[in-house]
Amino acid sequence: MANPTVILLFIFAVRCRGISMWPQPRTMSWPVHSATPLSPSFAISSPYHRYLSVAANRYLKLIKTENYHPLVPQKVNLTNGPSLQTLIITVNNLAAPLTHGVNESYSLSIPMSGNRATLIAETAWGAMRGLETFRQLVWGKPRRVAAGVEVVDWPIYAYRGVMLDTSRNYYDVKDILRTIGAMSANKFNVFHWHITDAESFPVVLPSEPDLAAKGSYGSEFQYSPADISRIIEYGLQHGVRVLPEINAPAHTGSWAGAYPEIVTCSNMFWWPAGSNWADRLASQPGTGHLNPLNPKTYQVMKNVIDDVTEMFPDSFYHAGADEIIPGCWKADPLVQSYLAKNGTLSQLLELFVKSTLPYILSQNRTVVYWEDILLDSNIKVRSSLLPTEHVILHTWGNGPNNTKKVVSSGYRTIVSSSDFYFLDCGHGSFLGNNSQYDQPPFADQGKGGSWCSPFKTWQMIYNYDIAYNLTEEEAKLVLGGEAVLWSELADPEVLDPRLWPRASALAEVLWSGNRDEMGKKRYAAATDRLNEWRYRMVGRGVRAEPIQPRWCINNPGMCNTVHPFT
Amino acid sequence: MASPFVVFLLMFAVPCSAIGVWPQPRYMSWPVHWATSLSPSFTITSPRHPYLSPAVARYLQLIKTEAYYPLTDLTVNLTNGPPLQALIVTVKDLAAPLSHGVNESYSLSIPTSSDKATLSAETAWGAMRGLETFSQLIWGKPSRVAAGVEVSDWPIYAYRGIMLDTSRNFYEVEDILRTIGAMSANKLNVFHWHITDAQSFPIVLPSEPDLAAKGSYGSGMQYSPANISRIVEYGLQHGVRILPEIDAPAHTGSWAGAHPEIVTCANMFWSPSGSAPLAAEPGTGHLNPLNPKTYQVVNNVVDDVTKMFPDPFYHGGADEINPGCWETDPLIQAYLAKNGTLSQLLEMFINSTLSYILSHNRTAVYWEDVLLGANVKVEASLLPPEHVILQTWNNGPNNTKKLVSSGYRTIVSSSDFYYLDCGHGDFIGNDSQYDQPPFTDQGNGGSWCGPFKTWQIIYNHDIAYNLTEEESKLVLGGEVALWSEQADPQVLDARIWPRASALAEALWSGNKDETGKKRYAQATDRLIEWRNRMVRRGIRAEPIQPLWCIKNPGMCNL
Repeated sequence: MANPTVILLFIFAVRCRGISMWPQPRTMSWPVHSATPLSPSFAISSPYHRYLSVAANRYLKLIKTENYHPLVPQKVNLTNGPSLQTLIITVNNLAAPLTHGVNESYSLSIPMSGNRATLIAETAWGAMRGLETFRQLVWGKPRRVAAGVEVVDWPIYAYRGVMLDTSRNYYDVKDILRTIGAMSANKFNVFHWHITDAESFPVVLPSEPDLAAKGSYGSEFQYSPADISRIIEYGLQHGVRVLPEINAPAHTGSWAGAYPEIVTCSNMFWWPAGSNWADRLASQPGTGHLNPLNPKTYQVMKNVIDDVTEMFPDSFYHAGADEIIPGCWKADPLVQSYLAKNGTLSQLLELFVKSTLPYILSQNRTVVYWEDILLDSNIKVRSSLLPTEHVILHTWGNGPNNTKKVVSSGYRTIVSSSDFYFLDCGHGSFLGNNSQYDQPPFADQGKGGSWCSPFKTWQMIYNYDIAYNLTEEEAKLVLGGEAVLWSELADPEVLDPRLWPRASALAEVLWSGNRDEMGKKRYAAATDRLNEWRYRMVGRGVRAEPIQPRWCINNPGMCNTVHPFT
Repeated sequence: MASPFVVFLLMFAVPCSAIGVWPQPRYMSWPVHWATSLSPSFTITSPRHPYLSPAVARYLQLIKTEAYYPLTDLTVNLTNGPPLQALIVTVKDLAAPLSHGVNESYSLSIPTSSDKATLSAETAWGAMRGLETFSQLIWGKPSRVAAGVEVSDWPIYAYRGIMLDTSRNFYEVEDILRTIGAMSANKLNVFHWHITDAQSFPIVLPSEPDLAAKGSYGSGMQYSPANISRIVEYGLQHGVRILPEIDAPAHTGSWAGAHPEIVTCANMFWSPSGSAPLAAEPGTGHLNPLNPKTYQVVNNVVDDVTKMFPDPFYHGGADEINPGCWETDPLIQAYLAKNGTLSQLLEMFINSTLSYILSHNRTAVYWEDVLLGANVKVEASLLPPEHVILQTWNNGPNNTKKLVSSGYRTIVSSSDFYYLDCGHGDFIGNDSQYDQPPFTDQGNGGSWCGPFKTWQIIYNHDIAYNLTEEESKLVLGGEVALWSEQADPQVLDARIWPRASALAEALWSGNKDETGKKRYAQATDRLIEWRNRMVRRGIRAEPIQPLWCIKNPGMCNL
């Protein structure tokens, strides 16, 4: 009996019981675990800035009301020094707008003695990152703040995103705002809003009001211009860009309510009985592609682009362009005669891109497309039509192989590999009348009906390296990564648990990486921090999933495995 | 282009936009889709009954406030008759207690030309089932009720349960009450409460208060006797039995806070490097059958639990006995050295505790392991089939067959079909299996029982598969199980609903239509409506399709 016990003590003694941060800062020194009381009159002083000032006020209020008690009591020494009275924020460049690549670095210093902490940032956005870090260093009631702390912090990747699909199912504005708030707490900086798709068109566009009027799920399932500006403003106050996506020319069945004449194959059954998969009209229920041969298509597209770029100030515009399905275009008589004259479907797509891309660029935007536009096996455009200085490709298929293809062709890329970052995977299929589930017992349940199964656990997300197998030069073109929630099987009832804390795993990987100073993957240490962070998020009103029994947190190390996986 | 369209129209004409009921009644006739308005002074009359009367008051309130709008417009004709003024409930046997096998049948009649509907049931519990059906036939504001309806309904299986594990993570009383309420709306009738396990002992037992004081997650995470009686009472008002489980002799690490001397291998690392694991998962500890104190404590526990929980079943657990855990104990080592076996140890434990449970007039439920465990198990002769029910969870229908062919009544919770926690990865820390190069087969994503059990997998499973007619009579019913390693109040509703609804229908009226064909296709549309209605009633159930699918009937089919 004696021997094993000794070994166990040894294993469990290594753990550090300091306050945990998420995402872990790049460099943080807290040599002696001291803490000082936070003065009841604690204040944050910040230079005036339209968004930072709002954020500073918000953080002050949150710090004074949060009441977070770590699940594992903190082993800290209370200093004899004065209580902390102020956090002084200094920003070098108050004019820097929130845009891709903006400097998000900050340094935070909370002295052991002295009543002032300082937060210095290059930009207002970096200061917001530092405010979150500061907030995570405050706990308890009466409130304590870690003291003798120096943090110098900046992100590895400039693009750190979460995508939400509001077309398959609708989300209320408050759900989106709550998500943006949680993103900011995780130091995410891009909310990629997949607004429209075949199923519904929820955004009300002033120049094309019928698209929502006839394409949304109903008047209570729409985003008004006022909703949009509220969301964008909220994003700015949280340092989160709002990147709109209007997916076209596929995934546009919902446009047919307003403009049946510009949508091919609309309102048809997606995969007609007796036909091959290659002859499907859409990859899932909800058919319809914009018709590149109808001049009206471009008139509508221009109005949409005008409105969207007016409503969304972000310098990126996501134009979709994934999953063009041959059968849908081929259902159209105009297209049929075009093909009969030796035209190709790829030429049709090129026509569409040539007629829309320059218009988006003319609005001073960088365009993001899904990778399909270049890599699709059937219908794609030549890379000469996609100038690398203006186009970013968003990868989702085939893991690191497609990332490699895209960057080695000279494109900047955002990585949303479905093998790692698709948060909807692993919950089966939504198709009706599906006999695959009616199997005798002991039939292999396979992937449980989900095409991208299994469920992407936080650990899978955490361990994935988006620059895998790239040269140093290629890796520079990887702007960052994005976790994606498609909403066939999600809506407001499950939004929080689908996103959190799995997106938090991505947030840390993209901010400070998944390795410790020795270069070792730090998933073991991350478990305990993520547990604390998950509970802290729940306390802040985000219904994040639990990742372990509470017992594991109360008994550090006891839920580990010491058997390497083989 | 023309001919495919014709085909489509033909396909889409079939869905019937009548009001859906979940679970589908055994027999329901509504030949013409009439509806009548519900009078503002509508009332329900019923005989006085301590539990039916509160249920009637509750349903009256629900009916008057729900204002449910179906996702698809109902094509109904309004009658010219009077608005419905009353539902008259009659019950033949008001004395029948809520217990296994109680008659739950009812018949409901809503005429087109009278202002009174009638609900007659054999028992108060059947009347509650009928009240739920009646509530589902009402919609809109002003409220309409389907008219010209005759329902005659009774369950296929007597035991229709949900298990919730409140030990791995704690749930508030309100979470449990909400779950019981939703169960009742789905005509489920047993809340199997896996109260304690290795991780925490949240129930405060008056005779053994230290078990919770030293074994719970803290004073804010305990169930007091007052909480328990509130839950039991709430169950009775909803026609839902509360079946308590105190798992023993394994899964008892949490008992060691109060009584370290009766727990072997407590507080040890679960899977030491280089030797056999001491538990199936983190959280070690087994009650020691050789320590007389063990029986003193277990008897106190059985006394208190049977006093607090009136249900005639008592779940004694007895799953996953781990040889390594008992073998760490010096007493047991000496016993084994004298040619004793671990199975004999378990027999000793069962012998002593089972008779004590039976002496409280209970039927004991054990997990199948007690008979089928690969290493440690007891002789069937020690488990009298008239007093013991075995709950199966492994090996699909094979274990069900083994149990019933040995003469045991069984409750089916096959992990291949009914484990609601599966498919969300693993919770073990420091787990290198997730650190793999890209393109490695991700397998089941680290979940031992992956994939996720979709509502369709649950719906299609037949718990009497491959049994003779005689054997299938021993299948009391089924139960979905939510183990809580990766669940807690934040995700409770979404993990359980609407997947447990799929079970509810399969056990109540089956998964086949009148022609014997599996009805999963038409069940989809009813389940979407029902999910939506549950959400409106405050249950955060998962969506099963985009809203587009119910708005475009048939278009999301395969």
